[in-house]
Amino acid sequence: MIEIAGLSKIFGVGASAFTALENINVTIRENEFFTLLGPSGCGKTTLLRSIAGFVNPSSGSLTVNGEDMLSKPPYARPVNTVFQNYALFPHMTVAENIGFGLEMLGRPKSEIKSVVADMLDLVQMAPMADRMTSQISGGQQQRVALARALAPKPKVLLLDEPLSALDFKLRKEMQIELKRLQSETGITFVFVTHDQEEALTMSDRIAVMKSGRILQIGGPKDIYDHPAERFVADFIGDTNFVSADLVTEANGIAQVRLPSGKTVEARSPAGGAQSGSVTIAVRPEHAVLSEPGALIDGRLKNIVYFGTDTHYHIESDGQPTFVVRRQNQPDAVEHHQVGDTVGISFNSGTAQVLRD
Amino acid sequence: MARPRSFDVRQQTGFTFVAICCFVLLYLPIILLVVYSFNAGTSIAIWEGFSWQWYEAAWNNEKVQEATILSLIIASSASLVATSVAVMAALATTRTGKFKGSGLVFAMINQPLMIPEIVTAVALLLMFAMIKVSTGYTGIWYLIIAHSAFCIPFAYMPIRARLQGMDLNLEQAAADLYGQPWQVFRRVTLPQLWPGILSGAMLSFVVSLDDVVITEFVKSAGQDTLPTYMLGQLRRAITPEVNAISTALLAISIAMVVAFYLLSKSKEK
Ligand SMILES: Nc1ncnc2c1ncn2[C@@H]1O[C@H](COP(=O)(O)OP(=O)(O)OP(=O)(O)O)[C@@H](O)[C@H]1O
Ligand SMILES: [Mg+2]
Repeated sequence: MIEIAGLSKIFGVGASAFTALENINVTIRENEFFTLLGPSGCGKTTLLRSIAGFVNPSSGSLTVNGEDMLSKPPYARPVNTVFQNYALFPHMTVAENIGFGLEMLGRPKSEIKSVVADMLDLVQMAPMADRMTSQISGGQQQRVALARALAPKPKVLLLDEPLSALDFKLRKEMQIELKRLQSETGITFVFVTHDQEEALTMSDRIAVMKSGRILQIGGPKDIYDHPAERFVADFIGDTNFVSADLVTEANGIAQVRLPSGKTVEARSPAGGAQSGSVTIAVRPEHAVLSEPGALIDGRLKNIVYFGTDTHYHIESDGQPTFVVRRQNQPDAVEHHQVGDTVGISFNSGTAQVLRD
Repeated sequence: MARPRSFDVRQQTGFTFVAICCFVLLYLPIILLVVYSFNAGTSIAIWEGFSWQWYEAAWNNEKVQEATILSLIIASSASLVATSVAVMAALATTRTGKFKGSGLVFAMINQPLMIPEIVTAVALLLMFAMIKVSTGYTGIWYLIIAHSAFCIPFAYMPIRARLQGMDLNLEQAAADLYGQPWQVFRRVTLPQLWPGILSGAMLSFVVSLDDVVITEFVKSAGQDTLPTYMLGQLRRAITPEVNAISTALLAISIAMVVAFYLLSKSKEK
């Protein structure tokens, strides 16, 4: 329902011109929890503000339900924003803040009153309805900002790192609350974060961004298990990178030869890798330790105990340190010792060939 | 408090002495002025006991009454006009995209602060003389217009500072919540701008109340504001009546500053 095609934004002109968004193409579906994920400065806020109407894209198109947005000022767009710093009106009470959108739309007082009451219940802020916004805590402000943006029942809710100012526990609570609100209201959420874990746990789909471009769009499992590029694999979760040679590649399946001479099946990215020497990515929990003579052999350099799991660091010639993660069982006996020569294996099809 | 400092200006020899001298120079004449306004005698230099007589004299002096009324009318009108214009000017210079010559516009708004007042006074005198000749009008409006003009930068400064210090996200949030530009201004910008507007208005009021040079040049025959009336008195024998009027003006200024301070304090809560 949100269709973005060929969207670019260049700030400044001449020598100081800076491309903040480059040829963004994405379709965000109705009722979807869609996340923009990427490191600081990659253009997440700029993209969000383009949808809200505070940034004027240099080129491209943007429609919501088929309706052109770029020709409309912010107040005429059916989207609401939860700002990164909340931007609550300091001279109004909590209830007045929440009712502001409906008031601007010219809704009758009785309707505003009942919607505000509903919203206060929804975010559990009813006891503080008449406080000024400077007299409530950060987490409460965050909920008021959310209620204020939800009250006019927009088609799309834009959220710019709304949880980044909260402490760990409140953040976990709010993640669950946000997810609940999204499914209860049926509103499309476009959510910005640079926290990969938050993105994985909350999203229906994630767009991973870097330097103004979208590198990959997919479901959390998709992105995690099958990162298309090295950057994506590196940014989301922990990954082992192994250099290998591409033997064959067809229909998204590749055969790669590892330095040990063994050949293994891996997934190839959309569009193919198309070159002889490639990098493959293997998640630490997708690999297991085995006897020497496996896909990769090496020397056990380190064993790190984490409580829930144990990490084995393995060194082998010409490769970066490979980490194998094993979930701990109660009272399991450790068979391996630092200095042992061990093998590393993983199932065919679990490794991912990266497009560098 | 006992934080070690690499450089503390108070340790420089003579600093305290110079500072005290400055304060004495600033306030001693004012204290003397206030004290002698209560003098029972007719001298402004020889103390002859306490009395309210010069306040009574000033209060009952018809010329002073007229001048006071004129001063207040001009100061309130000028402050009203200057503040309204300053709000618009401040909005135009802080809430629009950078346009060509915006620096020049900023300089031109503050021009009256830079140009010697006597030059403005002569220029206004000449221009108003032409208008007087062609229309025959000799009323109060020349003074109101002139005062409004030189008050604008004084009103503009605090309003602009307030606008610049405001969180732009608030106005964007209001626009995001379907507020049309004028609604955003009325419901979000203006309520937060009040302290700036108030200080701009008070500053203009005081500056206008106090003006001598431009008023002296622009006023028609028979018109007198408090300062020009006092100036006229100085040419004759000076009595502590002038002290009394000055003290009253001083009291008004202090009252306004205190009122503004309390007002801005209560807004912050
Ligand atoms: N008004 C502007 N003028 C010039 N450059 C800008 C402007 N706004 C943003 N940029 C640049 O565009 C790039 C993207 O900015 P943006 O705010 O979208 O990043 P972000 O992904 O939201 O980062 P963060 O996670 O730190 O919030 C940055 O390099 C920033 O410096
Ligand atoms: Mg951002």
